[in-house]
Amino acid sequence: MELAIDSSPRAEVSAAAHRLRSTLARLKAELELAEADGVAPPVQALIVGLREALASLTALEDAAFGLAPIQVLDDDERLAELTARSLRRLGYDAQSGRSLRSLRPREIVIFDLGLTAGLGAEEMALLKSARPIVVTGATDSAARAMAAALDAAEYLVKPVELDDLAAAVARRIGEGR
Amino acid sequence: MTRSTVWPQDWFTVSSGNPEPVRLPLGIGSVTAKLLVVDDEPRTAELTAEVLRRAGYAVDVARSGGEALDRVRAATPDLMLLDYEMPDMDAPEVLDSLRSGAERIGFPVIILTGARHAPGDQVLGIERGATDYIVKGTDRQVLLARIRGALRERRPPTGAVVRGRLKVDATHGEARLGDRPLKLERRPLLMLQLLAGRSGEAVPRSELLDQVWGSSYTGFEHRLEQAIHQIRRELREPGWIETVRGIGYRFVAQS
Repeated sequence: MELAIDSSPRAEVSAAAHRLRSTLARLKAELELAEADGVAPPVQALIVGLREALASLTALEDAAFGLAPIQVLDDDERLAELTARSLRRLGYDAQSGRSLRSLRPREIVIFDLGLTAGLGAEEMALLKSARPIVVTGATDSAARAMAAALDAAEYLVKPVELDDLAAAVARRIGEGR
Repeated sequence: MTRSTVWPQDWFTVSSGNPEPVRLPLGIGSVTAKLLVVDDEPRTAELTAEVLRRAGYAVDVARSGGEALDRVRAATPDLMLLDYEMPDMDAPEVLDSLRSGAERIGFPVIILTGARHAPGDQVLGIERGATDYIVKGTDRQVLLARIRGALRERRPPTGAVVRGRLKVDATHGEARLGDRPLKLERRPLLMLQLLAGRSGEAVPRSELLDQVWGSSYTGFEHRLEQAIHQIRRELREPGWIETVRGIGYRFVAQS
């Protein structure tokens, strides 16, 4: 796939690269200072810094390769994980669960409409802000209304093939936030 | 959340602390799962092995694709963690050699990769028999959770499974109850072999869907029910396949 770097992904690549470099520079400074003073480096701070660096590298790869982090939510946690695993095979950083977590930057949410009943107002607002890809077993007007209420970007009816899900994810990434 | 900038650790089924390693049923007792770590970079291999040993697994290390194949031929591991990029063979080549004619590899393989790709590249996307992919640098808890997940879904046994009067050999498309051949389509046959191979265990519906129908998203439940119906009809005797409410199905060998 050609790396189509238009202005928006380019800005994201640049921002993530900046964060990565800043973090690595800070870690280097910590280690150099510890070496100069002849003391043990602050291990905990270094671990936290390295996690930040890896997160920045992931964001950089996502922007450069047209990927995005994904969370897959289904009331059957195992099915959610199998779907996440399929998306990981395609290169996505996909995680699964039964309830909504805080959103990572640019994160895409694949949401089983069956989970709507358990949502609190705060979660509902968060989900809406993500413009989720909704997956549903029902095609009635109530389901469509619920998807519209969630400001869903895509509406997929089960059974959903991986190709269709991947295409929906690619379209969602193309749209941006 | 204050941890939003780091890799989140509180997703999936990860509980705090080190989870118990998966123990595999073996007759009446159980054994510690045996993992094979394959990485050409010695320090990486050792560090990965150490994390897994501390989590309670028995771990063996191979330093190349060729060595990995030798190890597997000598003793089949319960799970393999395979580095994607190695000088002698890359992961797809190792997977192809492991498969060598068989439809599926007999144990889960998790690929560890340092390189991520655009979705269209299909470098990782090609279905070569790997169970999961993990990017290097992923937190320990996530790595352990994925290993546990993969071990729980280990592949159905290859070759024939014999349980009392029932013999199932999905590889050759055959099943018999005593002298009577059972007329089963491929998927019901695979499902019967999987259930019989784990006799006495309640196998979740989602696992059957994954192993028999592949990695498609949910929505194939009715086909699973049709397959169970076909199996029961062909067996003609009640009791072989029990429905475990809210979970899935259990094979119970009949005398």
